[in-house]
Amino acid sequence: MLIVGGGPAGLAAAYRLATRHRGPGGDPPVVAVLEKSREAGAHMLSGAVLDPSALTDLMPDWRSRGAPVEVPVTEDRIYFLTERRRIPFPVTPPPLRNHGNYVISLNRLVRWLAGQVEAAGVDIFAGFAGAELLYEGDRVVGVRTGDRGIDREGNRKATFEPGVDIRAQVTVLADGVRGNLTKSLVERFRLDGGRLPQVYAVGIKELWDVPAGRLPAGAVIHTLGYPLPHEQFGGGFLYALPDGALSVGFVAGLDYRDPGFDPHSAFQRFKRHPLVAGLLAGGEMVRYGAKALPEGGWHAIPRCHVDGALIVGDAAGFLNSMRLKGIHLAMQSGIAAADAALDALEAWDTSAERLARYAALVESGPIRRELHPVRNVHQAFAGGLLPGLLYSGLSLVTGGWWIRDPMPAHPGHQRMQHVRGERSAAPDAVPVDRRLTFDKLTNVHYSGTRHDEDQPSHLLVQDTDVCRTRCREEYGNPCTRFCPAAVYEMVDARGGGKRLQINASNCVHCKTCDIMDPYQIIDWVPPEGGGGPRYEGM
Amino acid sequence: MPMPSSDRAPVLVIAEQRAGNLNPVTWETVAAAQALGGAVAVAVAGTGIAGAAAELAAADVAEVLVLEDPALESYTPDGHIAALASLVEQERPGLVLFPHTYQTRDYAPALANRLGGVLIPDCVGAEVRDAGLVLLRPMFQGKFVAEVAPAGPGPHCISFQIGAWRADAAARGGAAATRTVPVSVDGSTIRQRPEAPFQEAKQAVDLTQAERIVAVGRGIKGQEHLPLVQELARALGAEVAASRPICDSGWLPMDRQIGSSGQTVSPKLYVALGISGAIQHLVGMKGSRTIVAVNKDADAPIFEVADYGIVGDLFEVVPALVAALGE
Amino acid sequence: MKIAVCIKQVVTRDWPLRIDESAGWVRDGDASFEMNEPDAYALEEGLRLKERHGGEVVVCSAGPARVAQVIREALARGADRAIHVVSEDLPTADAGVVAEALAAALRDESFDLVLTGLQSDDQGFGETGVILADRLGLPHATIIMEIAADGDGEGRIRVKRELEGGWFQWLSMPTPALLTIQSGINQLRYATLRGIMAAKRKEVRTVPFASPPPSAWNIVALRVPVKDKQTRFVDGPPEAAAAELVRLLRDEARAL
Ligand SMILES: Cc1cc2nc3c(=O)[nH]c(=O)nc-3n(C[C@H](O)[C@H](O)[C@H](O)COP(=O)(O)OP(=O)(O)OC[C@H]3O[C@@H](n4cnc5c(N)ncnc54)[C@H](O)[C@@H]3O)c2cc1C
Ligand SMILES: Cc1cc2nc3c(=O)[nH]c(=O)nc-3n(C[C@H](O)[C@H](O)[C@H](O)COP(=O)(O)OP(=O)(O)OC[C@H]3O[C@@H](n4cnc5c(N)ncnc54)[C@H](O)[C@@H]3O)c2cc1C
Ligand code: SF4
Repeated sequence: MLIVGGGPAGLAAAYRLATRHRGPGGDPPVVAVLEKSREAGAHMLSGAVLDPSALTDLMPDWRSRGAPVEVPVTEDRIYFLTERRRIPFPVTPPPLRNHGNYVISLNRLVRWLAGQVEAAGVDIFAGFAGAELLYEGDRVVGVRTGDRGIDREGNRKATFEPGVDIRAQVTVLADGVRGNLTKSLVERFRLDGGRLPQVYAVGIKELWDVPAGRLPAGAVIHTLGYPLPHEQFGGGFLYALPDGALSVGFVAGLDYRDPGFDPHSAFQRFKRHPLVAGLLAGGEMVRYGAKALPEGGWHAIPRCHVDGALIVGDAAGFLNSMRLKGIHLAMQSGIAAADAALDALEAWDTSAERLARYAALVESGPIRRELHPVRNVHQAFAGGLLPGLLYSGLSLVTGGWWIRDPMPAHPGHQRMQHVRGERSAAPDAVPVDRRLTFDKLTNVHYSGTRHDEDQPSHLLVQDTDVCRTRCREEYGNPCTRFCPAAVYEMVDARGGGKRLQINASNCVHCKTCDIMDPYQIIDWVPPEGGGGPRYEGM
Repeated sequence: MPMPSSDRAPVLVIAEQRAGNLNPVTWETVAAAQALGGAVAVAVAGTGIAGAAAELAAADVAEVLVLEDPALESYTPDGHIAALASLVEQERPGLVLFPHTYQTRDYAPALANRLGGVLIPDCVGAEVRDAGLVLLRPMFQGKFVAEVAPAGPGPHCISFQIGAWRADAAARGGAAATRTVPVSVDGSTIRQRPEAPFQEAKQAVDLTQAERIVAVGRGIKGQEHLPLVQELARALGAEVAASRPICDSGWLPMDRQIGSSGQTVSPKLYVALGISGAIQHLVGMKGSRTIVAVNKDADAPIFEVADYGIVGDLFEVVPALVAALGE
Repeated sequence: MKIAVCIKQVVTRDWPLRIDESAGWVRDGDASFEMNEPDAYALEEGLRLKERHGGEVVVCSAGPARVAQVIREALARGADRAIHVVSEDLPTADAGVVAEALAAALRDESFDLVLTGLQSDDQGFGETGVILADRLGLPHATIIMEIAADGDGEGRIRVKRELEGGWFQWLSMPTPALLTIQSGINQLRYATLRGIMAAKRKEVRTVPFASPPPSAWNIVALRVPVKDKQTRFVDGPPEAAAAELVRLLRDEARAL
């Protein structure tokens, strides 16, 4: 059994596999996890408010095993922001209610979980990226890891280590949002046929140390409105951890129309709102990061089983965007996948038909129970905030039935509009004071991102001519704005004009470019294993 | 300060010489010793060192101690440790100070160990406070400065980073007494057998060793303008380095890159031309002793670390600098 | 050849570190750690020597439980076994204490060669190896850039030292000996999947650090370096500004 991706989904699957069949008779199956980050958990970035239900299903005694899940949500507020003011929602809509949930750091949780998984006998190979799927005919038979020790020009360095083929009866793809392996599998078998296109958002987050007494640990605040215009999906969050640690983040739908929109500056603007600025004043930004999340919901989930492979977690799109929660669903899907895979192994039949049991478990279990009733929410938000709110309220009352089900939607990048004659509606740049607000490069420094500089770019742009010609005119090179790590720059070309410069080693692996590029010519592929951000406490 | 009250000099400076020539950084350590107060003695060990001793006698110090022994002819750690351990045992100073050179790193830690202590290495400053002597030393690659207080009976061995004190601040007082200290080193106890030093045709530049660096950033616009920068570097006797975009474009090799994914340097002089001063660049050079920035944007963050700044077009300023240096 | 390589776990380079409440150390409770860079080169050199001459590479790391991370990494790269000297206090300790911790673990075994990194990225002493050599009674050489394949022809080890300003020097000494290794002496290999699997079965001996010596110094405080100088802007037309700058560099900064 091979699992690609050591996030909550992959590790839940691994743990389930390793522990379920202990005892008389069955030996546990041999399980390995590939994770591209240098250490388990280092690429984890989340809010995060954890719904502990799945963790309890996976490991009922998580408390006594010392899971870093310690701070129950104590208060739960939601505000609608205007530029200067905040309007509290009189009641917190049920899906945003967090009673019984915990404020956590996902990368700490995952690091701890990785320890439990290893103790259960699973090999976790951190620092190894799955570069491509191995097939026999149309059957997935494993994964090839990336080559290491290739220089910028593509030549082998003295230290060259070729990638390794890892073969497995069942390969579980837990490669997270817009995972490169999942993407190729979905494309190859058109697994999204008949489904709604997935829509995404990008979350940008900073971890702050604020003076004592700002927010009690366990306080949770969500905001809507400012700085986004009405028709745009997104909002802010503030989650208070103990000892003055505060998670501040902003989620922006990757289906915005204005090519001049820059999620990073929207986040900076959000921090300047009196509500947020007041909470952060006198504090210190200590970490930064960004990551996309799938928001399409139930109708955008592709078929998740093929011969020899299953897709779990964010890679599949199991995320409740109404609650901004995916960790527990990722774990639930990992558990379901592990059970289906074990069943298939025991039957000596890992064909798609047999593995379809995974889909059945998803249908009959907690995932559908949670996602199906809210299945149209994001599509409704695509029509703007007010209809969205109205709709989400209604759908809660009606149990989710709406006039059309499923509602039509387009991939987010298709909604981006051409630069019109006048300047983009995006407001002017946010002033950067390096206390409250930061430029992207300074922020990236706080993500701990590092790659070996002497390697080929892991951002493959199929046709850079488009960048300097069509895209420049039609969209004004939105990659220079939507990337939260300043990877893309248009610089002066030798003979006049501009050319695209890719600072690949800045990349925080958020996947926004792969998602939002209007021509869909950017392919994010994993860089040399071990590269990327080093999140801690995020 | 824990200094023994004896009639001997409480502060001993260990001079560095090679082939009889005094390493001028010794003067920096003399300046440090003088700044700490108390009587200072300077010791020089080797063979053929009369000239070096005479040079040192010009310093405003109590004594110059000379350790001549054939076993010290060429430097070996074993030889140096044996000779200096015996010196310190005879002289009983409270403090033993060294310039933090490659040679010091090679033997002083073991010498301090022989003397029952631990060398406090690479200090950038020293203060005498009510509670006693406090040394300042960089930590975490210069991100922080630690205040360190020596503990235990001493003698306390301390080495000072080159450039931490100014050589010309060392007071010169005329003629210090020169005294030969008898040491005899048993040559057979020296285990290292050195060969002659040699200079190697440099394959890769080692910017960390450069005294002066002229670094160029994207303000240079194109590779064709690099000769301008090289000319300034020649005029200053400096190495050329760059910010990442320059190396990324292949205009200069990657081993010339300064910053978090390149080299960390701390030369005497760092001239930043058309470099904005992104944090990833700053971490690689902000420890430089003197930083000059030329940038046309007065708000560029590079000016936050610069000692001298010219707000202007590098294409005008650099030729003017070359001309001014030529005069 | 029986080779010991001393490796230290340090906070990852560029980690946005902050000073802790006591102002005497950094907040490293939530930091990411890695193998000290020169130590990684020392390990690589040890592995290459073993490949050339046969024998065994034993890594030794002294520090709190978390240093198991770098031990595992070293085993995955090919070290044969490991010794972990367990002590919570070592990260802030002085070089004499650290050297004693290592010496305590290495004394019982007779190594032909002990390798350490030149200096550590955190406290930056650059002396742990030299003190260790003295405590073990071994001859040593520092800042090593090359180890000659065949020794000096008299059964001694022959090594190339880096001196200042582009100068180098060969020297030889009898073994057992201790060398401190400079970064860049070789090219580091990657840990392989096979290596990681094999590492799980390798021996890691933990030994307590029973009798730490008294500290030779104490860190009174840690602070962010203050920039005492303000930027001095040199104005005027380029020629005048350039001339003034050169004057300042010459007379005031004495940087020319
Ligand atoms: C800003 C933000 C806030 C959020 N807030 C919350 C919240 O409050 N509560 C909540 O429940 N959820 C929240 N989520 C969602 C939650 O974080 C995700 O749903 C969850 O992390 C998904 O888990 P996963 O295991 O499927 O994927 P991931 O957590 O993304 O893990 C995937 C792993 O696979 C690795 N990987 C990817 N590709 C490869 C490859 N080719 N080879 C090897 N390894 C690979 C990655 O490095 C990563 O470690 C939030 C998400 C974001 C972005
Ligand atoms: C993970 C990571 C690692 C990195 N590592 C490094 C690193 O090791 N080293 C490094 O340098 N960078 C590194 N960077 C990149 C860094 O963030 C900056 O992008 C880079 O340093 C900018 O280089 P620059 O100052 O030359 O270019 P720019 O930021 O484009 O600055 C050019 C400057 O030139 C000035 N200028 C333009 N024309 C003129 C003129 N005619 N006269 C005078 N001034 C002029 C402009 O005002 C501007 O300030 C890293 C980034 C990341 C994210
Ligand atoms: S390059 Fe793409 S994946 Fe990397 S940080 Fe930028 S937008 Fe995210």
